[in-house]
Amino acid sequence: MLKEASIRQPLILGHKTYHDITKDICGPIEGPAPREWKIAITIAAIIAIYGLSCIAYLVGTGIGAWGLNKTVGWAWDITNFVWWVGIGHAGTLISAVLLLFRQRWRMAINRSAEAMTIFAVIMAAIFPVFHMGRVWMAYWTLPLPNQFGSLWPNFNSALMWDVFAISTYFSVSLVFWYIGLIPDFATIRDRMVKPGMKRFYSILSFGWSGRAKNWTRFEEVSLVLAGIATPLVFSVHSIVSMDFATSVVPGWHTTIFPPYFVSGAIFSGFAMVLTLLLIMRKTMKLEAYIHVKHVEYMNIVIIVTGSIVGVAYLTELFISWYSGVEYEAYAFINRFSGPYSWSYWMMMTCNVISPQLFWFKKIRTNLAATFVLSIVVNIGMWFERFVIIVTSIHRDYVPGAWGEFHPSGIDVGMFIGTIGIFFTLFLLFARYFPVLALNELKTILKMSGESYKKEAEKH
Amino acid sequence: MSNNKKYWTSLEEFSNRESFQEAVSQEFAPASNGLNAFADEKLSKANTGRRDFLKFMGFSVAAATLAACEAPVVKSIPYVVKPEDITPGIPNYYATTYYDGSDYANILVKTREGRPIFIKGNKSHGLGKGAINARINASVLEIYDEDRLKGPKSGASDISWTNLDKEMMEVMASAKNVRILSNTIISQTTKNAINAFSAHHAGKVKHVQYDVVSYYGMTKANQEAFGKAVVPQYNFEKAQVIVSVAADFLGSWLTSNLFQGAYADGRRPENGNMSKHYQFESNMSLTGSNADVRVAIKPSQEGQVLAAIYNALNGGKAQVEGIESSVFTKLAAELKANAGKSLVVAGSNDADAQKVVIAINQMLNNYGSTIDMSNHLNLFAGNDADVEALVAEMNSGAVDVLIVHGCNPVYNLAHLNFAAAMSKVKTKVSTALFADETAAMCNFMAPDHHQLESWDDASAMAGRTDLIQPTINPLYNTRPAGQNYLAWSGNNSSYYDYLRMTFNAGYTPAMMDSDSNWYTAVHNGTFSSNAPVVVDNVDAATASAMAAVSAIMPSAPAANVTVSESLSKISSKKGGKWEMSLYTSVNLGLGNHASNPVLQETPDPITKVTWDNYVAMAPADMKDMNLNLYIGEQEESSLVKVVANGKEIILPAVATPGQKRGTVSIALGYGRGANDEVIGKAAYQVDGDGDYIMDGEKRMTIGKNAFVFVNKGIYANYDVTIEPTGEMYPMASTQLHSTVMGRDSVVKETSLAAYLKEKTAEKGKASWNTANTLPVHHDVNGDGEITAKGDRVPVRDMDLWAEHPVENVGHRWGMTIDLTSCIGCGACITACHTENNVPVVGKDEVRRHRDMHWMRIDRYFSSDFNTLEETKENKGLGTIAAYGDMEIPTENPQTVHMPMMCQHCNHAPCETVCPVAATAHSNEGLNNMAYNRCIGTRYCANNCPYKVRRFNWFNYVTNDKFSKFNPAQDETMRMVLNPDVTVRTRGVMEKCSMCQQRIQAGKIDAKKRGEVVADGAIVTACAEACPTHAIVFGDLNDTASENIMRAKNNRSYHALEEVGIQPNIYYMTKVRNIETEA
Repeated sequence: MLKEASIRQPLILGHKTYHDITKDICGPIEGPAPREWKIAITIAAIIAIYGLSCIAYLVGTGIGAWGLNKTVGWAWDITNFVWWVGIGHAGTLISAVLLLFRQRWRMAINRSAEAMTIFAVIMAAIFPVFHMGRVWMAYWTLPLPNQFGSLWPNFNSALMWDVFAISTYFSVSLVFWYIGLIPDFATIRDRMVKPGMKRFYSILSFGWSGRAKNWTRFEEVSLVLAGIATPLVFSVHSIVSMDFATSVVPGWHTTIFPPYFVSGAIFSGFAMVLTLLLIMRKTMKLEAYIHVKHVEYMNIVIIVTGSIVGVAYLTELFISWYSGVEYEAYAFINRFSGPYSWSYWMMMTCNVISPQLFWFKKIRTNLAATFVLSIVVNIGMWFERFVIIVTSIHRDYVPGAWGEFHPSGIDVGMFIGTIGIFFTLFLLFARYFPVLALNELKTILKMSGESYKKEAEKH
Repeated sequence: MSNNKKYWTSLEEFSNRESFQEAVSQEFAPASNGLNAFADEKLSKANTGRRDFLKFMGFSVAAATLAACEAPVVKSIPYVVKPEDITPGIPNYYATTYYDGSDYANILVKTREGRPIFIKGNKSHGLGKGAINARINASVLEIYDEDRLKGPKSGASDISWTNLDKEMMEVMASAKNVRILSNTIISQTTKNAINAFSAHHAGKVKHVQYDVVSYYGMTKANQEAFGKAVVPQYNFEKAQVIVSVAADFLGSWLTSNLFQGAYADGRRPENGNMSKHYQFESNMSLTGSNADVRVAIKPSQEGQVLAAIYNALNGGKAQVEGIESSVFTKLAAELKANAGKSLVVAGSNDADAQKVVIAINQMLNNYGSTIDMSNHLNLFAGNDADVEALVAEMNSGAVDVLIVHGCNPVYNLAHLNFAAAMSKVKTKVSTALFADETAAMCNFMAPDHHQLESWDDASAMAGRTDLIQPTINPLYNTRPAGQNYLAWSGNNSSYYDYLRMTFNAGYTPAMMDSDSNWYTAVHNGTFSSNAPVVVDNVDAATASAMAAVSAIMPSAPAANVTVSESLSKISSKKGGKWEMSLYTSVNLGLGNHASNPVLQETPDPITKVTWDNYVAMAPADMKDMNLNLYIGEQEESSLVKVVANGKEIILPAVATPGQKRGTVSIALGYGRGANDEVIGKAAYQVDGDGDYIMDGEKRMTIGKNAFVFVNKGIYANYDVTIEPTGEMYPMASTQLHSTVMGRDSVVKETSLAAYLKEKTAEKGKASWNTANTLPVHHDVNGDGEITAKGDRVPVRDMDLWAEHPVENVGHRWGMTIDLTSCIGCGACITACHTENNVPVVGKDEVRRHRDMHWMRIDRYFSSDFNTLEETKENKGLGTIAAYGDMEIPTENPQTVHMPMMCQHCNHAPCETVCPVAATAHSNEGLNNMAYNRCIGTRYCANNCPYKVRRFNWFNYVTNDKFSKFNPAQDETMRMVLNPDVTVRTRGVMEKCSMCQQRIQAGKIDAKKRGEVVADGAIVTACAEACPTHAIVFGDLNDTASENIMRAKNNRSYHALEEVGIQPNIYYMTKVRNIETEA
């Protein structure tokens, strides 16, 4: 077994044995649902149902139920889409990129981060699907053989690329996540006494036997999938950004978008992971596995990506001036001084200024401060997308067509609704799925466990 | 073998007693299972057993289900016997004439399968080449209004025409004083019928005429000066200098639709000279927005301005408060220099003012050249004095019978309190098409045909007679108004026969088929050719001699006016702190189109407000009063109370740059149906859910009736009070931003002098229309150095995409739009609307910035300085503040009207982004839209630099929100839809198709004849409706076409050329006849 330097902080606190880990993770699944969980899922489900009824109303009436108009054809819908996709990114980054870089601290957080990715991508998909005027024709975006003659989608369109990017991303993430779950499901299966549940988990665990052969395959597949997923981390949001970058709209047509969007996505994704984990570790008593060290690591990622985003904002401003293009210059002046300047300054404060606070060790190791800032970052990132989308098109080339956008109740309802659906799914996940990669975690117990480290020091 | 062994199921069965047998025979054991009802004695004896019942039930349910599933049956029944002239799919055109009491036009009505669906000008035989305006064009909807009277009525109950005639004859027999009130009647046949009626009821009948907006002052002045109480004809094309004092001659003054083209013809910079147009007015009118020099004045100053012009021409002192006297000196010098080629007009209905105008024109020798008194108009012959006398007579109770002939005096003579006077009349008859304000008070309603259903004649001017012919069988049980007079004087002939008799004394039904002159007239829509015809029986030789004489010596009648008294009268008018002027809305006219949803939704050319009238105020005044200046989805407008003449109206205030400070202006023609009359579904306000907004028990009117403010025949009040009520009111405007922000690649303009200096410059080289270039990294100019300044190539040569093979291959449709000629009237908007079945979306949706207009007219006001640099320099502002400053129009701005529709880009940004390739380029240079393929991502709309794509936010055809006004939702009004154009469904994008259906029809037509498509054979609806020839459509590959000539002109440019999208629509630099370069 590998030994880790003792000056490295332990990743698993306290004296945990293998059995403790199993108990800590499987316990909540086996026991009765706590009252808090019931309350939480009821609230989330109510919000989700409200969101679903907003969607039903939208489909029943028409896109006019939203606040869009002849000048602003996208607003909250695509803002929410990009926001949710962005949030998803942290999961893949944590599970794939950190796996390739052999970052062991990811083991405590990758499972829930990946779950978050899956659910966030589902939430994200809701918007581009239902933003279509004729959603029942949504399958026309797929290159399916058809009886219309040789009628294919338009491969020039960035929206078309989106379809591929998002669906690939979703399926790879789902498979990756599921592969990781198999050994853990098997553990639960083996411990389960209720026959129904046992059957349920035995189906989910695909007949995992825990033999060395199983483990070899597992490791191999994980590596391969990590290899596939890593480029997706960068490609998906790059492609999403091309929805804007390939257009002619001043403020959208920007070559800086792909890297800027990717770092923004990781930025917001980590913030969301933090928000979720800080709640989860408390409620599910996982303090030993997810602790200040993890939070600090993630906060460092937030500083880095937040600073990249900040630099990107300033670069955009500079280029808009330096380009000498009248429309582009105006688009950016309008962003920070026009009718929507409040959202620009909201974005600047939340995304550029607030993460800089993490330079202070006191703040980045303070869980309460982290929790607050993680929410601030997510608000800021929502506004970033809103600023890019709405303030660019509401005043573009022809002043006679300039207009404004005001959200309708359905706009708000659908957004809040997706948060409800997201939390419903996440709460179901937390209740029925192993929230930590318990079998993986066991591989580092003797290396990074606090008690084992202390013991090793004695020798 | 079967054995007959029997098993008993119970002892009871074995014993088989009677009670058991009875129990077995009953299906349900009595009182044992709660199904007593079925065991009921009667039921069991019924013919229908339980099983049968279930069978029937099953069958009925199945049948009902099947019936419910059945798709609605759409009956399209083919002709059993095909009408001779109707081929399904092929439109027929009928020449007829439009006259509604104020607007007059010779029109061609397009009918499809017997339904009139489109009105265009009669270019070959019409007055002013058949110029029409938005009101006339959109009026085609009105024939299908469901709220029209379906037949004659006595009080509230239906009556037959025979009974109506009988009752009327009785009424007439006992009546002493019978009065007919109408607008100016220009039909000789109707006049004859009225005369016959008067003769029959000798001594009882008097006919009184009035005009809704009166020109009585003008006719009175002409009566005094020339002995003829008429309105002359004006020839704006001949005028080098046009001075208008509050006459909105391009929008609503007299026969404005005929002036528009003439005005534009006098302002074509390619001809080398352009008329110079001065406008003095208090509200920014359509005319004022086109003026070269616009001076804002108060209504009370109109007389002073006229006096000043008069004085300046006479070398006297010209002084008007607030106006530099140099304006008058210059103006007088220009007028004098162009004597005989100038024109001074005034909108005032004050006879004294008009006398001064006559004197000025006389002085300038304009009679016989720009003003034609001999071929005067027959329109506007109303007599205000007669009307006042009639009202007095009615009030005294002396009038027994009042026949209201096709007008609505209760509404538009509100200032005379006509309703009160009318209530004193015993028998009132209305011939209105609707139970309108006046008709609702009448004892009898004798609804007239709609004009598109009737035969009639019309003579708009001396020497010209036009015909009105039906284009459809009468939809309802109506009767020509003229026939009433025949019926009520015992004449049984039909109105058509009577009309034929008017024009052919020898007319007999037998001769009908041989009368070729008549048929020529019906075909042409007129008895006259384009030139005015002399009706008197002069022989050809004399006529040509007369023409020769008039060519040498323009008939300048000697005006006999003494103006000294008039001058002092008109210049002594004093105004109060606030003054008010009343004007006619360019779209809605005088209220007769109130229920026309297309016109209600067509934005006002200046404020772009739809669905309301309002108090137009100077922005500075509004700021002083703390009123909201901005119209937006979330911003409501401030209501103000205007009091004048003892009457008050509460209306929202709208900031209108150019409005003279201290004045307000209100549009007439709104506020129809104040008593909830049945005048059309679209005439009332509808809320966001599609329900009527109620005002107590009544539906709320659209706008308020400003006719109450008419001040003794003058459409102004010199002392009014105005105060904010503190309440807010939602307004809907289609354009939320007013200035062009210095974007000179959107709008290019220059002065005439600058234009002439570089008139022959190569295209793209003139300083006022420089081609857009980009710096490149190779030595373009060959000076051995690569610099951003010197080495540039035109944007056109920088191409990311492969060229579409459209140039010089087949057709390449395109358009040129001359910003110099475009006056912003909006006729193109309504024409496009009707031609392409564009949905009407209502005020709430317009407020949400979701109007569906395929073509709009962007109206830009100038700001204090034109460019960012000038603003920064002159105002000492930074960039951000300077942009902010440029958003605000200057106090008396110059205006640009820029028609904007799909530019059919050759490298269309919308095409590349559509994920399903629903919008694609045709090989004829068009950007096509396949509605069926569209899934509605709106990416194309976002990526359109011109923002001309329109999304179907709702199903406008079925959604209840639009049920009150969208023609497609109305059982009858949907008949107006153009069958050649799909009615789009919810969730798809739509936009200008360059009238694809017309292009296809034109191509097929040419192919059938084996010819190439001739230039001008295919015209889009907008180009066809354009009265000023600002929009020209054609094949850019046709090297001889007018369109390509204009596209090659050095004034032509592509809007936003630098984006590199290569539109097929060219704009032509606006040229203003102003002193300095703008």
